[in-house]
Amino acid sequence: MSIGIRVALGINQADPVFRRRNQLRLVAFLSPLAFILLWWWVSRMEIFPTQLLVSPDAVLLAFLELLDSGELWEHLSVSLSRLGTGFLIGASSGLLFGILMALSRTIEDLFAPLFQALRQVPSIALIPIFILLFGIEEVFKVAIVVKAAFFTVALASYESTKGIPRHYFEVAQAYQLPARKLYTSVVIPAILLPVLTGFRIAFARSWTILVAAELLAADSGLGHMMQMGREMFRIDVVMVGVVLTGLIGFGIDRIFKWGEARLIPWRKA
Amino acid sequence: MGGSQADTLAQGMKMTTQSLSRYRFLQSGRGWLFPIALLLIWECMSRQSAEHAYAFASIPQIYHGLVEIISTGELQQGIVASLQRAFLGLLLGGFAGFIVGIIMTQWRVADVIIGPLYHMLRQVPLMGLVPLFSLWLGNGDPSKLVVVCLSAFYPLVLATYESLYQVEVKYKEVGDVYKLSRWQAFFKILLPAALPNIFTGVSFALAFAWLATIGSEILFSAGAGLGNIMMNAQAASRMDILIVLTVLIGFLGYGMNFIIQRTGRYFFRWRNLR
Repeated sequence: MSIGIRVALGINQADPVFRRRNQLRLVAFLSPLAFILLWWWVSRMEIFPTQLLVSPDAVLLAFLELLDSGELWEHLSVSLSRLGTGFLIGASSGLLFGILMALSRTIEDLFAPLFQALRQVPSIALIPIFILLFGIEEVFKVAIVVKAAFFTVALASYESTKGIPRHYFEVAQAYQLPARKLYTSVVIPAILLPVLTGFRIAFARSWTILVAAELLAADSGLGHMMQMGREMFRIDVVMVGVVLTGLIGFGIDRIFKWGEARLIPWRKA
Repeated sequence: MGGSQADTLAQGMKMTTQSLSRYRFLQSGRGWLFPIALLLIWECMSRQSAEHAYAFASIPQIYHGLVEIISTGELQQGIVASLQRAFLGLLLGGFAGFIVGIIMTQWRVADVIIGPLYHMLRQVPLMGLVPLFSLWLGNGDPSKLVVVCLSAFYPLVLATYESLYQVEVKYKEVGDVYKLSRWQAFFKILLPAALPNIFTGVSFALAFAWLATIGSEILFSAGAGLGNIMMNAQAASRMDILIVLTVLIGFLGYGMNFIIQRTGRYFFRWRNLR
């Protein structure tokens, strides 16, 4: 993996001592624990007004309260279904488009310039235009996730299919592989790992962009919950949202990582 | 693990396929087919009815919108404000990240303390922190700057850390042979060897900082900047201005990336990679 991809994913490959040695693993929990204790102590001392800094147990209470009222589930399920729908549409069409663009010269000639030009526009800058085009309803949020996922996955699959060594195809030709067999036993295995990495990056981007879109215009979802907390000066609700967005992003990234290790046993990510 | 050489090779190959295909677009001319068709469809849609014209601005309208925001000086002001924010954030956040990355590789204790904390805090999507910062620091420039700084900080910590760790052992051994002190070895051997990779991190940090600049300007309502102009245009349903600004943001991002790639190639030409 190049340093750029690792930076984009936030993967630390260099193994520090404490992660290499098993008995030192627990050390990794020390500083987060100390951080939370410090947070608790500072809020207890009331150095900052309570409207600005709430204690960790108040955040936990707010979390339980939101959970009890069922409000949290509603926001969470709405956000996740938007993310799921958008990501599924965007990533699958991006994958197909990327592979086709790399393999067919006609498609590449027709679409690649447009693709490369549109790719330069960051998704977040498209939010205002998407609001005008699609309104502020569901379509807008799903569309922005589709955009974010499509371009990232399409680029990853395009670049990796282009990067398949020419002699792979020559071998396939020598064995007179039928077209379908060519895809299933040459193209797909060759691009699996970089494409999965593309999926991970695309997912992280989709999640960020969805939270931003929900902060701006939504009547439900985690971003909307935080926005309401901000407007009502309920910093505990905002903190619940911050922690949850972090946990969800982390959790789904772990799923992708697990999938990488499962699907590609011959190469450890 | 010898992966770095393979990586640079892969990057080099990617570059050639990219540049080759880029030249082919220009030669074939077929690449213009779809953009032009799209523009024509857009133009037709904008002339359909008043309702359509609201969502689809016609090309003359876009041109007038451009002239309008240039003549009021709004555009120039916004470009300056946004670029300033991006570079200031890159400078402050990036430098802090660079220092933290160095500290983490040089002191094991710092690594154990900062590492897990860094990975914990980094999980939160930057835009998710916007409501928190708006409560703490308000809706103005300080909040935006903090978001941009963070966006540059995270990648540079990681890039610095990784690049310093990946310096090959044989270089370090040369330092041992010359009996260099720890700091001499760091400044004479480790840092120069790691710099090209760290610079890759800087180019990523710049891209992230630009995204964060536009994002924070869209989400924090107060102040000047391209994102703020966009939100005002969105509130006024001015599609023409939105299109001008979106294209401009894309161009500025592309231009900055181009410049930093060129700079990197110039500075690290001794490394003879590409």
